[in-house]
Amino acid sequence: MADLKITGLHKYYGSMHAVRGIDLEIPAGEFTVLVGQSGCGKSTLLRTIAGLEDISSGTIEIAGEVVNDLAPRDRDIAMVFQNYALYPYMRVYDNIAFGLRARKTPKQEIEEKVQRAARMLAIDHLLDRYPRQLSGGQLQRVAIGRAVVRNARLYLFDEPLSNLDAQLRDEMRGEIKRLHQELDKTMIYVTHDQIEAMTMADRIVLLRDGRIEQAGSPLDLYERPATKYVAGFLGSPSMNFIPAQLVSQDNGLAVRLSDGALLSLPADRGNRFSRHRDREVTLGVRPEHISRAADDALRPGVVCHEVTIDLVQPTGSRTYATFLLGGVETVAELKAHDVSAPNETVKLALDMNRVVLIDPASEEVL
Amino acid sequence: MSAAGALMKPRFSDKSFRYQLIAPSIFVLLLIGVFPLVYLLVASFQGITMIDNDTSFHGVSNYAALFGDTRLWEALLHTILFTAIALPLELVLGLMMAQLFIDHMPGRQVFVALLVLPVVIAPIVSGATWSLMFDNRFGPVNQVIGWITGEEATLLWTISPDLVYPAILAAEVWQWTPFMFLLLLAALSAVDKSQLEAASIDGAGYWRIFFRIVLPAIWPVMAVAVLIRGLDLFRLFDVVWALTRGGPGTMTETISIFTYVKGFQQFETSYTAAVALLIIILLSVVVILALRRVGLAR
Amino acid sequence: MKLSQRRNMRLALRYVAATLLTLFFLFPIYWLFMISFKTADEIYAYPPVWWPSSIQFSNYLVLFKDGDAATVGNSLIVAGVSTVIAMFLGTICAYSLARFRTGGENLANWIISQRMVPPIAVVFPIFLLYVWFGWVDTYFGLILLYTAFNLPYVIWMMRGYILDIPIALEQAALVDGYTRWQVLWKVVFPMCRAGLFATAIFTFVFAWNDFIFALVLTRTEVATYTVQVTHYFGGQSNFWGKISAMSVLGTLPIFIVVAFMQKYLVRGISLGAVKG
Repeated sequence: MADLKITGLHKYYGSMHAVRGIDLEIPAGEFTVLVGQSGCGKSTLLRTIAGLEDISSGTIEIAGEVVNDLAPRDRDIAMVFQNYALYPYMRVYDNIAFGLRARKTPKQEIEEKVQRAARMLAIDHLLDRYPRQLSGGQLQRVAIGRAVVRNARLYLFDEPLSNLDAQLRDEMRGEIKRLHQELDKTMIYVTHDQIEAMTMADRIVLLRDGRIEQAGSPLDLYERPATKYVAGFLGSPSMNFIPAQLVSQDNGLAVRLSDGALLSLPADRGNRFSRHRDREVTLGVRPEHISRAADDALRPGVVCHEVTIDLVQPTGSRTYATFLLGGVETVAELKAHDVSAPNETVKLALDMNRVVLIDPASEEVL
Repeated sequence: MSAAGALMKPRFSDKSFRYQLIAPSIFVLLLIGVFPLVYLLVASFQGITMIDNDTSFHGVSNYAALFGDTRLWEALLHTILFTAIALPLELVLGLMMAQLFIDHMPGRQVFVALLVLPVVIAPIVSGATWSLMFDNRFGPVNQVIGWITGEEATLLWTISPDLVYPAILAAEVWQWTPFMFLLLLAALSAVDKSQLEAASIDGAGYWRIFFRIVLPAIWPVMAVAVLIRGLDLFRLFDVVWALTRGGPGTMTETISIFTYVKGFQQFETSYTAAVALLIIILLSVVVILALRRVGLAR
Repeated sequence: MKLSQRRNMRLALRYVAATLLTLFFLFPIYWLFMISFKTADEIYAYPPVWWPSSIQFSNYLVLFKDGDAATVGNSLIVAGVSTVIAMFLGTICAYSLARFRTGGENLANWIISQRMVPPIAVVFPIFLLYVWFGWVDTYFGLILLYTAFNLPYVIWMMRGYILDIPIALEQAALVDGYTRWQVLWKVVFPMCRAGLFATAIFTFVFAWNDFIFALVLTRTEVATYTVQVTHYFGGQSNFWGKISAMSVLGTLPIFIVVAFMQKYLVRGISLGAVKG
């Protein structure tokens, strides 16, 4: 059964159309990530679910009940805010207990629940402190603790990690995911960070201009993007997009780049694309699907191409190499010592089994 | 993240909440703020005086009488005169004081705390204080003048036509220069120091930096300070009341004192209503023009 | 001269100037306070006495004996009660203006414009209204008037302080299960405590220092200290002791209060235009 069901949701701010028709069902216990660039409507969508914003049209159902006209306090949701939203004049204990007190929970029960949540988040030694005495990571834990004690139907996270530094963010990501496994609650998490979306989500809902661009499991979206936008949004470094033409070659199909290079497609994929023969396409290649060509036998579907490296960016485990391919700057994720210096000419192998072809007009993946 | 965060949309049962919140305040303001205006408007077209409660329609006779009332226009002139002298004086003196304190200076807080004391004194008390100061025989002002000139000074500060203006202005400037000082000090402290340093490295002199960088930066605060003080000076009453009661004759009568005399000593109700409306209209025009100017300057 | 020497020289000169200025601005206050401790002989001595030979309180004792000192009590009652009421009504109104933009910019501007109207222009019809209702010379009348007079200030100031509160704090409480009114009590008021305090002080001082409204709307029962001071004005100057003692009684509390709130002074007197 769907724990949250949104049908035909629209939201206007004056003449600004922030949410443009969202239909979405989220099953109980799922961890859903709403992801997209700033201004895509993801926060607005979350806030309409919380009841902090009115909706212009459509319905929102939580556990089968239409909540359109319910105040936030009656929706039985808990929310973690971007800037923690902790009360500076209350101790950590009181901040966590704040939501329980609103619901007239017995004192004994509050004590137990706060202690349990605090232990779970490893902040039980901080309960007597004030928020100003805590570090960013600790504040974030308190903010999460505040939501956790509530035992709500639905948990909402509004970019909770965006104020933390990179290392802490990695740590908290794992923490929140572990929390989801322990609590087994329906959680909706908003972020603009595709890595957060990929690592945390059971399901990603990718929003663009107030609409759902694509929804599905992280790997589904990553491997089978529906549009160029999705393909470019997920993955870091982003997918390379190279303008090309789909042409016949021997008895199969190949992609011809603007510099004339012909990259043949594996036979099994050829069939799918045959009706797009002789059309302009955009070739989408992920950096990790380009490797240093070994001299020995190539696997089927892998083609070789010689390029001159422009820029080398080692990260330690991998090295990013930038070069021109078909007239556009292209990035490859190579092994650490595959290239050492700019201007080196190397032979690279493209795994054509994994590339996507995109219709440049509609930007849809073929 | 979104701009939506800046505004809470009222929702559901909250729709009446926003009006519950403002209702009592609006009621009080209507009663004490708007009723008087309505009454003034009505009464100003009637003929009510102390002896005659004549509520019949008198047309614009009260307004017509305003034009021939030299005492009224003189009172207005006095008010403008006080404002035109006191306001620039307070502004310039306040700015100079602020400049004196702007650079690093240990113990500055103590000076500032002491300097602002005149601002919080009741204006009527400040007037009383200065009437003690200016007493021709027992006041210290004449005594100090005596020390300087070497002969006994017996200046009649609150009576002599040549001296009443300086006396009232002294009290006024004494009380409110610290107000300007405090605001301008805050404004100067907020000026971006790196801009000043960059300008001085570029070889700009003191005055050039002051006029090109400092003055534009503190202009908004200066405008607010001048507006607040201008409005206060326009309603000048307490200090004059304490020092001269508008005298000698009507020489220092301000528009506020004139209105008080007409309304509460001569009980010319309808005529006073016309005067009060005139004041409000004049003031509104000035304020709107001033706000426009400030708005443009920003 | 070396740079550091020149700098020290300048600093020394600035201290001299600062001291002279401070003496100039404090001297009238000193004079007022000092007279209140003088004997009649010293007050009316020629040449004036700059330092009383002994501190004596007879000027104050007279005020208390005659009951004149009770006017300070009247000031306290009307200023205190009107401050509490204006703060409460004004703050909730400000919340509505800040968070729901009730009435838009127009309402906010209308409210602040109420403060710009000169008292003398409105006190006259208000007086007639008060005569009609029998509110002249009553606590209620003066309290109502000061409440109305201070409301625009409170609304304007508190609107600024409320806009400084991160809205997520209120939204978090709404999600957590609190009603709108509870959010006001449990989040908004505690969050702007400092602003409430500072604004209340100024509201109090405005009412406390008012002269013209009290002059018109009181007779004897609720006359405030500012009106009482002027009762000693006039022909014979033998009331100087009373004038000064009464003034000191009214001024000292304000000095004490202001000493504790230096931090909020600038924002308060600039109607919030300068956050200081």
